[in-house]
Amino acid sequence: MAESEHHKRQKRRFTRRVLMLGASQVGLFGLLGWRLRQLQVLEAPKYTLLAEENRINIQLLAPSRGLIFDRFGKPMATNTDSMRVFIVPELSTNIRDSLDRLGRVISIPGKVRARVLRLASRQSPYIPIVVDDTLSWRKFAQVNVLAPGLPGVQTDILSVRKYHGGSDMAHIVGYVGAANKVEVNEHPVTRLPGFRVGKSGVERGFELKLRGKAGVIKLEVDARGHAIRKLETLDSQQGRELVLTIDQEIQRKAMERLKDERRAAVVALDVRTGEIIAMASTPSYDPNAIIEGLKEGAWDNMANAEDDPFTNKAIRGQYPPGSTFKMVTALAGLEDDAIDLKSKFRCYGGYSYSNAYFGCWRRGGHGAVDVRKAIKQSCDVFFYNVAERIGITKLSAMGHKLGLGQTYEFGLPLQKPGVMPTPGWKRATLGKPWYGGETIIAGIGQGFVLTTPLQLAVMTARIATGREVIPRIVRPYPDEKIEEPKPLDIKPEHLAIVREGMWAVVNEGGGTAGRARIPIAGVEMAGKTGTSQVNTASSGRSSSGLKWEQRDHGLFVGFAPADNPRYAVAAIVEHGGSGSRAASPVVRDVMTALIERDPVSKPTYVARDGYRQTAGDKRRPGEG
Amino acid sequence: MLRAMDTVRRLATSAVRVKADMFSGPLETPRLSFGEKLLAFNWVFIVLITSLVCVGAAALYSVAGGSLDPWAETHVIRYCLGLGLLFLVALTDIKLWMRLAYPVYLAALLMLIAVPILGVDSGGAQRWLQLGSITFQPAELMKVALVLALARYYEWLPPKHMSNPLALIAPTAMIGIPVVLVVLQPDLGTAVLFAAVGGGLLFLAGASWIYFVFGIAGILGAIPFIWHSLYDYQKVRVMTFIDPGKDPLGAGYHILQSKIALGSGGVTGKGYMQGTQSQLNFLPEKHTDFIFTMFAEEMGFVGSLSLLSVYLLVLLAIVYMALRCHSQFARLVSAGVGITMFVYVFINVAMVMGLVPVVGVPLPLVSYGGTSMITLMFGFGLVLNAHVHRKTKFRPYEVGII
Repeated sequence: MAESEHHKRQKRRFTRRVLMLGASQVGLFGLLGWRLRQLQVLEAPKYTLLAEENRINIQLLAPSRGLIFDRFGKPMATNTDSMRVFIVPELSTNIRDSLDRLGRVISIPGKVRARVLRLASRQSPYIPIVVDDTLSWRKFAQVNVLAPGLPGVQTDILSVRKYHGGSDMAHIVGYVGAANKVEVNEHPVTRLPGFRVGKSGVERGFELKLRGKAGVIKLEVDARGHAIRKLETLDSQQGRELVLTIDQEIQRKAMERLKDERRAAVVALDVRTGEIIAMASTPSYDPNAIIEGLKEGAWDNMANAEDDPFTNKAIRGQYPPGSTFKMVTALAGLEDDAIDLKSKFRCYGGYSYSNAYFGCWRRGGHGAVDVRKAIKQSCDVFFYNVAERIGITKLSAMGHKLGLGQTYEFGLPLQKPGVMPTPGWKRATLGKPWYGGETIIAGIGQGFVLTTPLQLAVMTARIATGREVIPRIVRPYPDEKIEEPKPLDIKPEHLAIVREGMWAVVNEGGGTAGRARIPIAGVEMAGKTGTSQVNTASSGRSSSGLKWEQRDHGLFVGFAPADNPRYAVAAIVEHGGSGSRAASPVVRDVMTALIERDPVSKPTYVARDGYRQTAGDKRRPGEG
Repeated sequence: MLRAMDTVRRLATSAVRVKADMFSGPLETPRLSFGEKLLAFNWVFIVLITSLVCVGAAALYSVAGGSLDPWAETHVIRYCLGLGLLFLVALTDIKLWMRLAYPVYLAALLMLIAVPILGVDSGGAQRWLQLGSITFQPAELMKVALVLALARYYEWLPPKHMSNPLALIAPTAMIGIPVVLVVLQPDLGTAVLFAAVGGGLLFLAGASWIYFVFGIAGILGAIPFIWHSLYDYQKVRVMTFIDPGKDPLGAGYHILQSKIALGSGGVTGKGYMQGTQSQLNFLPEKHTDFIFTMFAEEMGFVGSLSLLSVYLLVLLAIVYMALRCHSQFARLVSAGVGITMFVYVFINVAMVMGLVPVVGVPLPLVSYGGTSMITLMFGFGLVLNAHVHRKTKFRPYEVGII
């Protein structure tokens, strides 16, 4: 074959093959185009979303907590800004050097310096150590300006709760603290550093109203998470104001009155609305000390203290009501037609049931006793008789009707329900059958019967008004409709005779609580004493020779004015001896203060309606 | 006078003559004057590559957040210098390149061998040689040298020996030695490039189909062994390619972010300098290897498809120019540079779209980088040289075995 022929063939082959190569290049570019279409056209929405997620960082803005006032607008809980400077040892190259340099701007006492260095050497270097939390604006600004030259030094502004009522209001208002694990899962805003949630009292019960709504900042961030610009801001909304039904003046007086008792509680209600005017429990604690952070030892001391200052005895103390329960027994008997106004039982100082003997507090007996006299003189034998005739089920049902043996849904957490015993209850809780003798002593509020002071106040208010009064701790918002309590399913004449008996207790010669009379002309209180046995050793009645823990609890419930009830008050003095001696003067004094001041007749503070915007951007200057 | 008229006539009817040339026997090939060379020049090609550089400059301006500094301006300056090189290479006599082919290849090979002995470490791989004050990547020179040497070999090889298996030994060695050397560096991307360009040239030169069937089968069979000998970071790259979602913050981060950027660009893009993925630094290496992603995010499907079309036009122009060459040397040089360019574009674009593993391959003329720019402009210079001298034929005495 000629050389040129070879060259021609070579050229043809090249042409063929280079065209094939070109075609395959076009084909592979087609593959690229196909892939491009897949990414940029078909899957574009998915990737657009991912790109936005990359780019946008959402930061929550902590809302400012709602304020709490008493019924007349006195601030009970407010917020103050605490400007803090702290040091993170891990970020500080030399903590002593950082402190030295910081010390040129703010004064660091030697004690503080020593504490910071001690903590830094002891705990994880990532835990910030507060150097000063009471900076002025001026100092705070100076530290912020210099912060870049102070490695490890950071600042923030913390909203700190201040409780103006102090220990007087502690059990009602409660306090706030860092969210625990469960609370953190409930809403992301609780994860913000320094965010506080209610831990007890109204702060806890009305947490969601007080919390407000978190704001949102949408930031555009770069790959390192640095904010480039603000895209959108949704201001946080402050939590709603809360106006309590409490009159701080009365509350303060009630606390003052209980000051000398070791463990005692008193509750004062507006009988018409159920509003709690005062609710005192002693001993108490200082919520501001908790906010500021108790030293480890101090907390343990308080939590384990014998008289349990953290427990609000008005709602968590469960006591045998003793004779204050006799109105329940009387009403149960009257409603069941087991007795009527004229029914009399003869009291010889005791009562035999089966082969047991139940004594009356007056060993000599009361003679023939009708229901009015039985209440007035608190004759045990009369109520033994009634209890035996009606049985425990009806007795306990009347207790429920009058508000005992239950908690109330009005926002105060951690209430205890007490006990209105029934045979079923005993089987379920103790696994034992009910004995008849237990009905007898239940008739005088002993045995299994347990009540809280709040329940006793509610019972008194219900007897005083004949309505199903439900307690309230927070005043209704202007837009909130409150229904008037429904009438109780108890005949008014029966209630009237019980009230008559309670009036006689205080105001008639021979009543058990003559010393409870109110020193105001024209105003009479009706009431009932109660002395509940704590253990059998106290049955000897004489308290003086017994150790404190063995003495009887003294109780008293009362309402006034007797002819037109406005207030109901219940008090318990633990191991105070007799109700007449220990508790009735407390109720008298609180009632006197109530009648004199008459808080329910005065116009109350009205919560500012709706939500308020939290001003401005609450980002912490120490961040980002 | 007569000769000048003849030249004008020939140039004027060159389109018609091309076809005739293909079947004509050996002709006397005239020496071209400078003016003739400029007339024979492919100016459309220059327009095409300049438009690519403009796209690159615009993209680099956007990457810098709307600034000529530090990339866009340098990029254009480098291109202008590269254009100078291109004209220099294109307008010299093709016979010079013919003569230089083997020496250049040999020099590149020696330097590749010198790299592991004298080279400079950079990022776990030895790729650089220090020559006085400049650092230099011998592999870059080899990209052009390999094309020249293979073209030179097949210009020499008489066509009738084409199918002789012994004739394959020399070119296989020419390809194989540099491949092995760069694999040792280790630089897998360049090794793939050498293999693809070499294989492509063997194919175009006319090697039998059978060798390619065996060759491809051999490569597939060798994959397990290759995998075994890969470095850990190379294995990670391959694994990342297979499943980029497995470790989105680790090795798969770049590919994932690149796909997010591409996809979120949508049909029309986010607008020039508005790409969130690029401007907020979610994209890595966006002025070099990932510049296509950045362009596609801001310009969308329409823009990126247009850019790919320009590349395709450049590649087809090279094919067209190769077709018109009379000598095997000129054809293969053109086509070889075309294959190099194609492999660059394809691997880069396929990489940013997650079609192939991440290998450090720039996007020709658009990515920022001096080395690849010089190599490419040198290569394009050879393509245009072949085009200008498309009618040149070599006499046997001009094409010795060495």
